Amino acid sequence: MIAQYVADGVVSGALVGLGAIGLTLTYAVLGFANFAQGEFLTWGAYFALALLSGTGLGHAAALPPFAFGWPLLLVLPAAVALTGGLAVALDHVLFRPLRRRAGPMGLVIASFGASLALANLVVLLFGPKPRYFSRAIAFAIPVAPGVRLTADRMLVVALALLAMAALHLLLTRSRLGLAMRASAENPALAAVYGVDAEGVRRASWWIGGGMSALAGVLLGQTEQIQPLMGADLLLSLFAAAILGGIGSAGGAFVGGLVVGLAEALSVPLLGAAYRPAAAFLVLFAVLMLRPTGLFGERP
Amino acid sequence: MSVLLAVSGLVAGYEPGLPILRGVSLTLGEGGIVALIGPNGAGKSTLIKAIAGQVPRFAGAVSLAGRDLAGTPTHRLGALGLGYVPQVANVFARLTVAENLVLAAAALPGPARRAAVAAQYAAFPDLASRARLPAGRLSGGQRQMLALARALLASPRVLLLDEPSAGLAPAVVSTVFARLRAIAAGGVAILLVEQNVGAALALATRALVLVGGRIAREDAAAALAADPGLADLFLGRAA
Repeated sequence: MIAQYVADGVVSGALVGLGAIGLTLTYAVLGFANFAQGEFLTWGAYFALALLSGTGLGHAAALPPFAFGWPLLLVLPAAVALTGGLAVALDHVLFRPLRRRAGPMGLVIASFGASLALANLVVLLFGPKPRYFSRAIAFAIPVAPGVRLTADRMLVVALALLAMAALHLLLTRSRLGLAMRASAENPALAAVYGVDAEGVRRASWWIGGGMSALAGVLLGQTEQIQPLMGADLLLSLFAAAILGGIGSAGGAFVGGLVVGLAEALSVPLLGAAYRPAAAFLVLFAVLMLRPTGLFGERP
Repeated sequence: MSVLLAVSGLVAGYEPGLPILRGVSLTLGEGGIVALIGPNGAGKSTLIKAIAGQVPRFAGAVSLAGRDLAGTPTHRLGALGLGYVPQVANVFARLTVAENLVLAAAALPGPARRAAVAAQYAAFPDLASRARLPAGRLSGGQRQMLALARALLASPRVLLLDEPSAGLAPAVVSTVFARLRAIAAGGVAILLVEQNVGAALALATRALVLVGGRIAREDAAAALAADPGLADLFLGRAA
């Protein structure tokens, strides 16, 4: 019984972790907490939905053992790219002009506004009712003693791990990754080293928006697509990013897994009513012992 | 002597209307070390930062080998031949020594990048043996060497150094200064801010005395070192 809760926690934690990566990258490179991060998750799912219905591919038969058809895999990279583009565009029209005039708090408040605008734009364009990528029923299959998972939910964990590994390689092995880590540590010195700060900011928005979109599409497939799907996750995203050590991409992902597990295990251990508070109890305990989070660097 | 760096009538500071530099002009030729000395608060570091594009310039011009640098962002200056080593936080403490160097050489194509980094390891053997160490774990002298090696990777024609001896033990300072002499002998023009006036004048060929945001005197370093009126100049009295 507990094993099933652990498995469910890992699946939802992987999604929270993917979403929290964008939050932590934005904080590290741009220096502010972006409250519109949840909306990138929502928009990722709706971009995929629009592409499926727009191309008429949404009615393709499911691809066993999954409950979705091959077109979803086709539109997934496009939804990720479009959401990355949306994040860059939002930076261009809103955050970049404010960077020159407002401090970090001004950017945070602006992100609140952007969050409301983006969420309501979704309602305006797609309506308030929940939508689904597929009406096919997903059957859970036994994967370990006492644990049953649908193939879709297993794919969530596999894709999340793959995305995380790719991001880790990018941050540690590529020129862009080095530039991002350098800019997060000291943007003025990064410029002296020849790093184009605007280019690094753009890349951070692309990656953060794209990772959230991946989480959004996967969440949309395993649960449902609705205008508040990202906003509902926002507090968990913040808990994961802070828990992992703000600024650490790997930390945000591990933080997401801890948040997912805490929320899932709180149901049998504390009662379902305490589920929303569980992540914060863990956050409280970790920050008492390690104020910089699990993987955060001491300032 | 061909002019590599020319600054004319430079007015610069952190806040508009509150200039720290009030019309500074100077020129730097090939292969010389010019020391910038002056009392605390005279604007020495501000001058270096303003040339490097780190402090807003309100008036005047800065040109590098005849090219006006107005509007050139800081990250393009290295490629144009202007190296700058800040006084503090001049390396990325969380990146390894190797990552610091690779990042600085990132604009070069693969084989040229590897050759450039290898050349710096040959010049600074202490760095080669610590390549995988985070730069934050280097000693003060090793950090200064890494900062120098990083700046040299882009083959600068002009090198701006903000107090390279700050916080270093005397023995380490002589190693750093010996390195600077070798760099200058290779044809790089060096503009150096130093608090340690004696050491700076012993190292430099020429010196500028900056007082109250203006050049109060320019002379051969040896002549200034021998001038008993230098202290008066520092105190704002006419020498």
